[in-house]
Amino acid sequence: MDILWFGVFAVLLLGYFALEGFDIGLGMLLPVLGRTQEGRDRVVAAMAPYVLANEVWLVAVAGVLFGAYPRAEGEVLFGLYPLVVSLLVSWIVRDAGLWFRRRLDGRAWRAGWDGAICLGSFGLAFSWGAALVALASGMSITPLGLAGGVAVAAALAFHGWTFVSWRLPGRVTGARRSGTALLVSACVAAAPAAALLAGAAPWLLGHTAPTDTLNVLSLMILPFAPVMIGGQVWVWRTFGPGRAPERTPSFF
Amino acid sequence: MDVLDLARTQFAVTGSLHFLFVVLTLGLAPLVAIMQTVGTFRGRPDMMRMARFWGQIYVINYALGIATGLVMEFQFGLSWSGLSHYAGDVFGAPLAIETLGAFFLESTFLGLWIFGWHRLSPRLHLACIWIVTLTAYASAFWIMVANAFLQNPAGAADRGDHLELVDPGALLANPMLVMALPHVIGASLLTGGFVVMGASAYRLFRRTSEQRFFTASLRFGVVVAAVGAVVTVAFGFAQFGPVGEFQPGKFDDAPLAGAGLGFMIMIGELLQLFVLFFLLPVIHWLPRWRWVHPLVMLATPLPFLAAILGWLAREVGRQPWLIYGKLTVADAMSPGLTSGMVTTSLIAFTAVLGLLAVTDYILIARTVRRGPAAVSLGAAPTGPDPAPERAAALSL
Repeated sequence: MDILWFGVFAVLLLGYFALEGFDIGLGMLLPVLGRTQEGRDRVVAAMAPYVLANEVWLVAVAGVLFGAYPRAEGEVLFGLYPLVVSLLVSWIVRDAGLWFRRRLDGRAWRAGWDGAICLGSFGLAFSWGAALVALASGMSITPLGLAGGVAVAAALAFHGWTFVSWRLPGRVTGARRSGTALLVSACVAAAPAAALLAGAAPWLLGHTAPTDTLNVLSLMILPFAPVMIGGQVWVWRTFGPGRAPERTPSFF
Repeated sequence: MDVLDLARTQFAVTGSLHFLFVVLTLGLAPLVAIMQTVGTFRGRPDMMRMARFWGQIYVINYALGIATGLVMEFQFGLSWSGLSHYAGDVFGAPLAIETLGAFFLESTFLGLWIFGWHRLSPRLHLACIWIVTLTAYASAFWIMVANAFLQNPAGAADRGDHLELVDPGALLANPMLVMALPHVIGASLLTGGFVVMGASAYRLFRRTSEQRFFTASLRFGVVVAAVGAVVTVAFGFAQFGPVGEFQPGKFDDAPLAGAGLGFMIMIGELLQLFVLFFLLPVIHWLPRWRWVHPLVMLATPLPFLAAILGWLAREVGRQPWLIYGKLTVADAMSPGLTSGMVTTSLIAFTAVLGLLAVTDYILIARTVRRGPAAVSLGAAPTGPDPAPERAAALSL
């Protein structure tokens, strides 16, 4: 049972980077890939239908951390206090940018929230980079975290670039990328977290909740797994590339 | 303020902000789902327009529900790691089930609903909003399971330095849950009903366009608010039994809790009288009685205020316990937490969320002012159609 829940945790964490990674990457690249308002609209519209289904993987990661590794949860989150706060603030600012950018007309309003998306995405990437470095070095937040931030930002930006070249081939980056290339860039985005997870596995397993708790979690959650996976697959089937150009303005 | 007060303030501020948006999410989701159901199965374009208009308000409100909810989820680990250390084996389970079994689905299917207009078949698209509604209520259930455990740690056994889950059934049948959950759901419907009423009253009072649209909306809002008011008040009073049994003296020992309770009851009963004995009997004439509309508008913030007061009563009245009789708030605070840390994050969260909350309400007000014609959620495709056969399918 503890191996099963470690598997769930690993899938959720790596899934977060593989999926939400391209949203963060595109957010950082927004001013580069969209030099005009129309260009930025196109980039945001490309990722918009995926964002809600992607970001929720981290909410699930935190939930499993609390449910299956309660003694690790406090240690990790408190140990990384300033980074968790900056991650949350960045996440909120990025999301606000997405939800609000089209709610009023006017170029300044939209450009301002596009700035929030970019800023928030950079904050997310650097918070993650620093957090992964801190976790790997036993919870010590050091200037080395900045290097981690640069590395994670680069990986996610590459993933975002690949995603938009797959979703809107030739229309944003000028390049066209296949689904295989997107899979590769997803692996690149998830690689730093995978490395950390491999190293931290024994420690995390040592903090597993008792079997009774895991049984309750399994009983209540596993029956929903098919719907959860089905919903995610449905998102990708509905909003994949190869359809006619959009005739409705995106909600985000 | 010492570090404990600061950490408590942070939880109170972010928790109250979160619930302001959650209560409307829970109140509007079923209304939008019902409107879209009638619109889909009866082929009623007017109901589809209502689903889109109130759906856009629901979605704008939802943005802040997420933002504040993120802070809530991570705050347990940031400020209250003693809680997960001592009771994580029990308390963590409902929170984990909420994120995976409910919110994960809610977020995924909300994305499909928002971006799936005119892309998914009408029935599949309708299924999305129902899944969103059901999972939102499942979320409310699991969060209330977790909260009820803090009020009365049922189903757990003390193992010295930590609690162990021994009876999951008792966790779910907690007397501090069974009367409180319907109370919260009733309050949500009351709030949703009042927002629909208040916005409709504004449009009718100003004699703007779309009189038929807002006449129907106003009546719908009155019915929902009436149902919500009855459920809220009934299950509000029903809670005195379990509260008296498990937390005697709850409202006497903490003045803030007692005041919160008193004002909440006053507002609740006032709203119930207003809806049941005034608005509901005259529902037929209400849309044309302009003199009533300002009263409805003025009353619209009251359900929100009552909801916050209710949470104050429930949470402050439990002090100094975090888990009643087992773990104090002081013992639950993360060891090593400093005033500097909490002050910095408190300012950051409050400033960002406060600013966004105000922006969000302005955007909702503006959506009401601009009316159904300006709604972008689910707007029909425009421009040249490259696939005529698809358009034919959509025109159903």
